[in-house]
Amino acid sequence: MIEKSRISSFQMAIMMYPTILATAILLVPSITGKFAERDMWLSPILASSIGFLNVFLAVQLNKLYPKMTLIEYSEKIIGLIPGKILGFAYLFFYLQTNGIVFREYGEFVVGNFLSKTPMIVVIGSMALVCAFSVRGGAEVIARSAQIFVPLVVILLLFIFILLVPDLEPKNMFPIMDKGIMPSFMGSVVPASWFSEYTLIAFLLPFLHDRGKGLKWGFISVFTVMITMVVTNMSALFLFGSITDSFTYPVMSAARYIDVADFLQHLESIVMAIWVAGTFVKISVFYYALVLGTAQWLNMSDYRTLVLPLGFLLVIFSLWTAPNLIEMVHYLTTTWVFNALTMQVAIPILLLILGKIRRKRGTKVGSTRND
Amino acid sequence: MINLYFRKLTNILLCICLCFFMLLLTGCWDRTEINDLALVLGTGIDKTDDNKIQLSVQLSIPKAMGGTQQGTGGGGSGKPTIVKKATGSTIYDAMSRLQEKVSRKIFWGHNRVVIFGEALAKDGIRKDIDFFARHPEPRLRAYTFVSTGKAIDILEVIPELERSSAEIARELANFKIGMSVTVKDLLQMLNSGADSAALPWLEINPTEGLRVNGTAVFKKDKMKGSINDKLTRGLLWLRDDVHLATVTIEPKNTKGSISFNLLRSKTKLVPKIVDGKWQMIAKITTEDDAVENDTALNLMDPKIVKDLEKQLAQRINQRIRMTLNLVQKDMRIDVFGFGEAFHRKYPNEWEKVKGHWSEKFPEIEVKIDSKAHIRRPGMSTEPQGIPKNEVKK
Repeated sequence: MIEKSRISSFQMAIMMYPTILATAILLVPSITGKFAERDMWLSPILASSIGFLNVFLAVQLNKLYPKMTLIEYSEKIIGLIPGKILGFAYLFFYLQTNGIVFREYGEFVVGNFLSKTPMIVVIGSMALVCAFSVRGGAEVIARSAQIFVPLVVILLLFIFILLVPDLEPKNMFPIMDKGIMPSFMGSVVPASWFSEYTLIAFLLPFLHDRGKGLKWGFISVFTVMITMVVTNMSALFLFGSITDSFTYPVMSAARYIDVADFLQHLESIVMAIWVAGTFVKISVFYYALVLGTAQWLNMSDYRTLVLPLGFLLVIFSLWTAPNLIEMVHYLTTTWVFNALTMQVAIPILLLILGKIRRKRGTKVGSTRND
Repeated sequence: MINLYFRKLTNILLCICLCFFMLLLTGCWDRTEINDLALVLGTGIDKTDDNKIQLSVQLSIPKAMGGTQQGTGGGGSGKPTIVKKATGSTIYDAMSRLQEKVSRKIFWGHNRVVIFGEALAKDGIRKDIDFFARHPEPRLRAYTFVSTGKAIDILEVIPELERSSAEIARELANFKIGMSVTVKDLLQMLNSGADSAALPWLEINPTEGLRVNGTAVFKKDKMKGSINDKLTRGLLWLRDDVHLATVTIEPKNTKGSISFNLLRSKTKLVPKIVDGKWQMIAKITTEDDAVENDTALNLMDPKIVKDLEKQLAQRINQRIRMTLNLVQKDMRIDVFGFGEAFHRKYPNEWEKVKGHWSEKFPEIEVKIDSKAHIRRPGMSTEPQGIPKNEVKK
């Protein structure tokens, strides 16, 4: 097998937490707010159903082919040539998606803090660090996630607690005055974020306690959902009807904190959360891409691919969109269909076909035994 | 052997590389030294005659700021702040002109107050508020004010107690004696369906310096009028913004007056639509401590206290009625948040009147249901300074 290290399902869950959340707490609240307005805290709850579905799909597929990743078993399920084509589609999808993640990271850092620094420096340095962790393998990423995620959670809690004096819960009323539709519309974009749980298809084969994969996967989705509900709520309680007029509501909220005249200017904490979270997020995507490519090309080692694909990722991040406006537009329109097709519809089809194939296989096997 | 030597060499090279990477950690292209920054403490925005903006900023002079803390040295040599001004068509445009006169980079991160000049406020403030929510440096926490006359005059006041006049304005807003509105609050007010805003009214008193005196009332983003200090109290009671207050009443059937210190108060606006009639019930509960009593009333007598509580509540009612008469009936501007309250409870009905809220608003019948609780008589029981037999029982 190409990856020799093993991780636990708990480590998988902790890796996936920032993989969904890191970018979801910055741009997404504003997008959700545009559609759902004061029901924006409901949207992540609706959206998480996609996350649960995805974990379930990945685990079921993994039960059919326990030692294989998405790229490998798609060849087994739909045949070699179509499988290769689908594999290429997946790799291209992850290449582009990771490019977007890089770009979101770059846009945020450059837009808020280092406005005169060329974006390629910001993205390039992140790509380099991530390349090191990807080269180290799944276990290295998992262990760095174990260090960073508690930090991210504590800092997020810190920000929420400091915001409490400024929050006005009455901003959430009336709840669902226009029915469920606005919150449902608002949940579409977060749902495409939740669909990134398909990535566990690249991690499940390397679990040493595969039986707990489903349980920890669900726990991970649930914690992400809770965190998104809390973030959206705190932005909503603070800003009310103007939440969606900010590019990064959580960032603006953190900047609003002023406790006792000295605990203020806390945006660097958001920055820390963001950098630590994105590091794990990019690493996981990067790892899936590198591993998948190596398997697609039937290589015996994926390490040689790390740097070349890293360069490609940096370039993709610059190609993705000419500006933030185009990127947000892309994320609210094409990306949703793209993500949901690649990460929900196709896995469902694969699972159905796989099940059929397995049934036929066992039937053939049983007749042979007679 | 060669292999070992080679490994040593790569290690050394790696170390050099790592040291080189540290150069990247220094903040890249955006490195700014603190002594290259001019910190903006307060911003004033005025209208010029040719419909442009005159931006005035109060910049801190670090030298003088440090000096005040050390006490010795120059002994108050020079002001701790300077005020610079420039005109332009937008704030940022004016700022770039301003930068031509300032040797350090103007930095907005510490801007604590935004003051709109009266003329500009009457003309509309919407176009000038956007900068404070869009540029990454200014903070949404900055307090906003409207000044009598020109905003630059406020910034130029040389304070006695604080280091700068911007600091005074901020502290005054922090006390919440009058309205206290941050940029965020202002954006929310302008965005709400009620189409109105209220900002604290800042004026210069030649002998006393700065003073928050009343409230400027905005219809949409244009200032329509102002209400005085007394009426502002009524506004604060309805908006549930009362934090620091003293209430003095002159009890009936006796001479003199009693002052109370407000501990806490809570206002709940309960909207009601009964048979198509829109009603607003304001439920107010306040808790007070007596701090001064120059009447002959014995504050330890439960009967008297009960009576005083009633009079206190009545007093609050009066204040609110006065404010309502002017703002609701005459000005017809909803700065109380009635629209929001109706929207929250009756979203469907609100949808219908949203378009002509300013006509509907004056028709709303307001019922005030206030309760005052006097918790403690203070450190004394019977009135001090008069003989026992003159104390009223």
